[in-house]
Order: sequence, then C-alpha cells, then structure tokens
Amino acid sequence: MRLQDTIKTAAKSLLRSKTRTALTMLGIIIGIGSVILLMSIGQSAQDLIIGQVQGAGSNLVFVTPGSNKGSRFAAPAAVQGIIIKTLNKNDMIALEREASIDLVAPEVRGQARIIYGNNDQAVTFEGTMPDFFPIRNFTIAKGYAFTQSDVDSFNHVLVIGAKIAETLFGDFNPVGKTVRLKNITFTVIGVLDSKGVGPFGIDQDELVLMPVSVAQKQLVGIDYYNSLVIQANANYDIAFAQSRVVSVLRQNHHITNPDKDDFTVQTQADAIDLLSSITSVLKLFLAAIASISLLVGGIGIMNIMLVSVVERTKEIGLRKAVGATDRDVITQFLVEAAILTLFGGIIGIVFGALFTTIIYFVIINFSTIEWTFALPLSAIALATGVSVLIGLVFGIYPARQAARKSPIEALRYE
Amino acid sequence: MIALKAVKKIYTDDGSSTVALNGVSFEIHKGEFVAIMGPSGSGKSTLLHILSFMDRPTSGSYTFFDKKIEEMSDTELAYVRNQEMGFVFQSFNLLGHASVYDNVEMPLLYSEVKVADRKKLVENAIAAVGLVDKTKIEASKLSGGQKQRVAIARALVNNPRVIFADEPTGNLDSQSGGQVMKIFEELHTAGHTIVLVTHETYTAGFANRMIHIKDGAVDSDQLIDKHPTHAGFIK
Repeated sequence: MRLQDTIKTAAKSLLRSKTRTALTMLGIIIGIGSVILLMSIGQSAQDLIIGQVQGAGSNLVFVTPGSNKGSRFAAPAAVQGIIIKTLNKNDMIALEREASIDLVAPEVRGQARIIYGNNDQAVTFEGTMPDFFPIRNFTIAKGYAFTQSDVDSFNHVLVIGAKIAETLFGDFNPVGKTVRLKNITFTVIGVLDSKGVGPFGIDQDELVLMPVSVAQKQLVGIDYYNSLVIQANANYDIAFAQSRVVSVLRQNHHITNPDKDDFTVQTQADAIDLLSSITSVLKLFLAAIASISLLVGGIGIMNIMLVSVVERTKEIGLRKAVGATDRDVITQFLVEAAILTLFGGIIGIVFGALFTTIIYFVIINFSTIEWTFALPLSAIALATGVSVLIGLVFGIYPARQAARKSPIEALRYE
Repeated sequence: MIALKAVKKIYTDDGSSTVALNGVSFEIHKGEFVAIMGPSGSGKSTLLHILSFMDRPTSGSYTFFDKKIEEMSDTELAYVRNQEMGFVFQSFNLLGHASVYDNVEMPLLYSEVKVADRKKLVENAIAAVGLVDKTKIEASKLSGGQKQRVAIARALVNNPRVIFADEPTGNLDSQSGGQVMKIFEELHTAGHTIVLVTHETYTAGFANRMIHIKDGAVDSDQLIDKHPTHAGFIK
C-alpha cells in the first residue's frame, strides 16, 4: 500500500469518530502542553536568576569566609552556619591597593524590624561603605547615599529600599524622617531606586543600607566583615583580578597551603555557572514532571487504539481478505497513532505557548518579578519528537494485535 | 486451474479435534459457475476459505493456477487474494461509514494498480452492478440488495480470475437475492469464474455445476443442464 493511501485511510478512519479522536488527542495535548509550559517556565526562571546575578553589577568578585574547596557545589562556611571571623578591614585596605581592583565594599548583615510610628517591617540590614552603591549598581531615587565621613563618624543614617519606603511612609517623603532599628534611632537620608529581587532571592527593595561601622559596633557587635564585594578593573582579566584577591588574602591571613584557605573567592561568572547548574537541574526536574503526563497521554492512546482494534476487527479481516498484508495493517494503525500524536503535539505546543504567554503577562503585570518570556526551541523540538515517538511506541502494540488476526476469525467476529 | 487433492482440515481446540474436511478432491475450470452446497456443519464454508486462500489445509494439496498453497507465505497468499480473487460475503462486510466508491476501491489500495487507472476501474465495477447513481452515498444508507451489489463491485474491481461468494443471498429477501444472482449470472456469461457456497437450491440453480458436501467430503458433483455449451468437469 502506498504511504499516501495509508495516510488517507488513517485520516478517514480518525475523522469518522471525531469525539474519540479529540479525546485521545487530549492526553497528548495536555502532555505536550505541560512539557512546553514547564520547560518555558524553567527557562524563564533560569533567565531571571542569572539576570539578577548579572544585574548585581559588572566585573564583580565576591569574597566569602570559609573554603568551598573539594566541591564546586559545597556551600561556603557562612551559608553552613560556621562563623569565620577572618575577613576584616586590613583585607579591604590591602585589596584596594591592587591595580586590577577598582572598588571594594564590605558587607555586615543582620535582620531587624524597622519601626516608624505605628508601622514596622522585618528587614535585612546591610552595613557597608559608600563604594557599595556603584559596585552593586544601586542608585538613589530620593535624598543621597551615606559618605565615608558618615562611616568614620558612626552616623546613624540609613538608605532604604523602595518597598520599605512605601510600606512605612506611604506617599510621604521618607528623607529626613526618624526610624528605629533594634531600639537605635536612625535618620533616613536616601531611598533606593526599585531594583526587584536580587541574586539568592533577596528583595533589594526591602534592603536597609547603613554605614558599616554602625552595623558592626552597634547592631551586630562584631569587628569582622561577613563578606566583601569587589569590582575588578575592567582593563584586567577578571580571572587575574580573582587570583590577585586570593594572593592578597592568603598573604594577609598568613596561609601558605592553599588547601587551608579560610575564604572563597568567586566571580560573577562562577556564580552564574553555579546557578546555571542548579537551574538546569530544576529545568530537568520540571521536564520530568511534565513527561509523566506525556506518558499518561501515550498510555491513553494505546488504550483507545486497542479498543479501536477490537471494534474494527471485521474491518481488519476484510482488509486482509482483499489483500492487505500484516505489514499494511501494522502501518495503517501506526500511521493513525502517529497522526493522533503529531496533531496532538502541534495543538499541545500551541496551548503550551499560549499558557506560557498568559503566565508571562500575569507575572509582569501583577508582580514585581522581572519575568522574561522564554519559549525554548529545544522544548518544541523535544515535544514534537517525543509525541511522534509516543505514537509509534504506544501504537505498535495495538497495531501488532490488529495484524495478528487471521482474516477468517476477524471476519467472523461479532 | 483450481485443483484440490485429498484436502483435509482438522481443527484442534483444547486437545479435542474436529474434522471439518476429510479428503476433498475436485477441479474447477476457467469459466465455470460452481455452487457448493451442503447442510450447515458440512464443511462447505471451510472449503471456501481454503479455496480462497484465507485458510490453509491441514493436509492434502491445493493448486490455484499453478500456485501451491502449501509452498506460499502469508504475504504471498495476501498478494494472490488481492490480484486474482474477489470475495462476496453473506453479511456484505462493507465499511458502513465509507462511500460506495471508497468501498469498491479498497482492494486497489493494496494492489499495484496506478492511481490514475484506479478511478476508471472503480467506476466500471460500480456500473457493472448498476449503482452509478449511488457512487458517493455512504454504504450504510443502502438497502441490503444494494449493499451486496457494492460488495460484488468490490469483488470485481481488480478483474479477478475467480470470484468467491459465501451465501451471497443469505441476508437478502428473495427479490434482492434474485437481482444479486442475476448479476452473478451476467458475470458468468461475461466469462468470470464463480464459486459460491449456498444452502439454497434456488441460488444454486444459477450455477452450471453443483458440488454437494456432506460430513466434510464430496457427496455429489454434477453439471446442471442449464448451460449445455459449457464443458464442465464431472467426477
């Protein structure tokens, strides 16, 4: 039998029972739709997370206490709750002298409630230096940033995130107002431009920035830094800057054996690499979940095809009686399954893309997340390939059942 | 031509075996119109299945125009059924939802006939059974007699060497049955070889040779004096 005739015959028999064909396709439509949707969400999430790291500044080098040697994925000591007190002002001063380094800012972090009148909110405060603002691309919407003299004089001044400003002050200008943090009075001198959720899920609009001296001595009670953030000189290779940071810190900390490093130096690229690996696993996980529905859809097809084979026993008998070979019968049923899955797949792709678009518009319109639209070609290719494969794999069993029938027995079937 | 020699067919089911054909031998020549008769359970349908390559004998030999069934694969049997045989069944076995045209065309889909030639063949076959005005009608909407005529057109479309019919009038009233048998008679007159199985004497009366089967064996084989010019074979 010619392929065109097979396709025509298969299409006719599918069109004959439209409801059943539509219901059979539904499984594949949902399966492929979910694959597209979840893979797109995974891709958007990856773009978002990596975009946040990239948006944190450029040519950044992060120094965290503790070593993550041995595994790329091991968390630095600070994340594991181990307190390491070796990063301090001397390190910062030494690093600032390096030609390959433009700016260095320390970070001392803590949590507290910020109180203004009857309003209060839990916030992450961060003690740092004025260079922090250019390093992290933080710009001031109202008022001004604190200065080195604020740091040196232990001035109780704050620069607050846009969201905090709105929560505490509503439409009023927060600049010049007095707030309290851990029972210490601060004056708000600036409000940051809105920046959204930053790397590692911290909402930068809910951040409170203050002079590092105040954070260290009066809020946290430590004399070391939680971390350093460095902007490398763009004229130098970032890897060179990174190696200089390592050398300087080893020298300062009197470390001769690299295995004994008490700090971790990562570049933005390292962070992006790490986050890419994590989000790729997430993407894979989402695709795996979606594949389950695809599998269910495939089994649905097999089920309906088996019923169809039984129902059409007489037709199979007749076709064999007038000269159809086993191969003709197998091909016909396989082509039917392939048509079901191919069209189901195409409709599923359309639906998946549609829902991806809807989700995109909902997120960008109803949240502050800077969601990007992603419809990976790989997802479409994978979905199409997988759906046709499903048709062939799940179609083969019913098709073989059909071909195995002897013409007389099939014709006698009631 | 067609030659059966000591053909036996034994069905085995759960250890017990039933002898359906017990050493059947005869020949059928080109241009004959043979009616195979017998009471139900006599083995006449089994015989027709073997004659039409839809089943294989347990022992004995069957030659269809130099082709020995025992030497052929299932695919080769399918090929011969498609190229050299036509079938008419008691229950029509049409695709009810498909048009008359599509039903008649079906055997050609499995043949090597060129697409360009198909239309003419299908139209000729439909014309031969007088259903030109029904070409595009769904088969399920036809009367019983018309359905059987479609089935005959389907059997004719590949211009087979032999047309096999299994109780072709069994599901029809006497008037439609008569019309259907008239068509067989015309086909015979036009030179077609026809083998039909029936238990109705009226239907068998259209044939020029009658083979009676009883208990799986040939009970009698005789020419009917209807076509004195035809030189049939008498055992």
